[in-house]
Amino acid sequence: MAQCECFSEHFSKRHFLSGIDARVKLLVTLALLLMVLSYQGILFPILVSCGAFMLCAKMRIPVKMLFMRMAQPLFLAVVVLVLKCFFTGEDMLFVFSLPTSHFPLLTLAGHSDGLLEGLRITSRIMGGVSLVIALGFATPFIEFVAALSWLRVPRPFIEIMMFAYRYLFVFLEDASTIYSAQKNRLGYAGLRRGLNSFGVLTGSLVLRGFEQSQKTADAMIQRGYTGDMPLLKSRPLKAAELAVAFIVVVIGGAVWMI
Amino acid sequence: MKSEVRSQKSEVKKLVTRYSLLITLMLVTCHLSLVTDAFAMHISEGILPLSWAALWFAVAIPFVWYGMKRLRELSKIDLSYKPLVGLMAAIVFVISLMPIPVPTAGTCSHPGGTAIPAILLGPAVTVLITGVALLIQALFFAHGGLTTWGADVVSMGIMGAFAGVGIFRLMRKFNVGLAVSAFFAGMISDWAIYATTSVELAAGIRGDEPFWPLFTKILIAFVPTQLPLGIVEGAMTAGMVKLLFKRRADLLVKFGVIKAEEAI
Repeated sequence: MAQCECFSEHFSKRHFLSGIDARVKLLVTLALLLMVLSYQGILFPILVSCGAFMLCAKMRIPVKMLFMRMAQPLFLAVVVLVLKCFFTGEDMLFVFSLPTSHFPLLTLAGHSDGLLEGLRITSRIMGGVSLVIALGFATPFIEFVAALSWLRVPRPFIEIMMFAYRYLFVFLEDASTIYSAQKNRLGYAGLRRGLNSFGVLTGSLVLRGFEQSQKTADAMIQRGYTGDMPLLKSRPLKAAELAVAFIVVVIGGAVWMI
Repeated sequence: MKSEVRSQKSEVKKLVTRYSLLITLMLVTCHLSLVTDAFAMHISEGILPLSWAALWFAVAIPFVWYGMKRLRELSKIDLSYKPLVGLMAAIVFVISLMPIPVPTAGTCSHPGGTAIPAILLGPAVTVLITGVALLIQALFFAHGGLTTWGADVVSMGIMGAFAGVGIFRLMRKFNVGLAVSAFFAGMISDWAIYATTSVELAAGIRGDEPFWPLFTKILIAFVPTQLPLGIVEGAMTAGMVKLLFKRRADLLVKFGVIKAEEAI
């Protein structure tokens, strides 16, 4: 359960982006994401990726944390690159001839057009993921929820998101405690016991979820809950922030056009 | 000379095509053994071109909308329903972060966890739960993405939930035991997610190539993690249902998973 330590909230303290309205950050990110996805080359997503990582460095996000965030996207990017390079395309670029090349299983050919297409997708992944990572570190959850509300995301979705976020850490802690207790009692020694322990762990979390939801509902009803939760009200957007966002998007658009 | 090179090239191509599946399997297994964690279920940000990302959004939105409609209806009857759904979203989030060792790939992977709420709360609300969990994961963990949210909801929320609950209800109809039905629900749900993710990936990245060969390669590439993971997810779902039956059978009755006479 080490992942809970790398939740963005632990890092989004005071930095130069914390004062900027979450709506502006979200709109700029979405605009740049659209440009990254629709770009036909490699350069623009790589530039966006560099920019996003520089922002993360400026926010003093530990490098290890960035690597942890990038692990899953990089995994998929490598799989896509391998698939595209070796199994698609026409122009042969290289052929692997291992010592036992007479054995056909070990013959492998890479294609330049496949590699180029793979690199295009990989750069898109890098650009897109780095943007979202920067947004996650730059925006506290509550502000993000308010921005979603301003963007007219339906209320039930936002309410469920707020409930989920409120209890995430509680359940992460619970799961961690149960897991450690099981592990200390050799709950994961052997496949059968391990599977059984996972089942008990999940069941216990669901049970706690039911009990906690009842307690939460009771407490909320006592405080006047009638089925709708209050949300953070958005302040009017500042002209200066909008101007900066506009300039960033225009510069991005200009590079995209080139 | 030129014709010789051409014939050599075509020979190599033939071999590569013939053994491509095995080579994919080898390469990906090697790669999997190099990384500590594999998160095969989420499609990362940027992997899908704009057109495909938009299409999966268009598929996902009506299901999420229906989930919200069901939530509104049910929370009018029971005020504690919204907190319950919210807490289940948190549990799905936590479950999908659990590192499960996959010995065949020499790595850890993560379950989808959608079969559990689908059995308890129904597939429509589960789509909403998955949508919420995926958005939080995309933003704060970089698992999945904002533009691939639609595709991830379709695979994990819609296919995972409906396949899981469909199998569960079908088996229960034929009087199969609760734990066995839950096991198959979890397993099939996981494999449905994995198959749908492969379809989405193949369609999104194929370019001008034909769909089916790439789809088969992607499907095989994830076999080392997803096949055993499906069994683990099945066992996890069965364990959860067994524990609930033992300790809070009334809840299973309340959510229509079992009949009242079965709880006695």
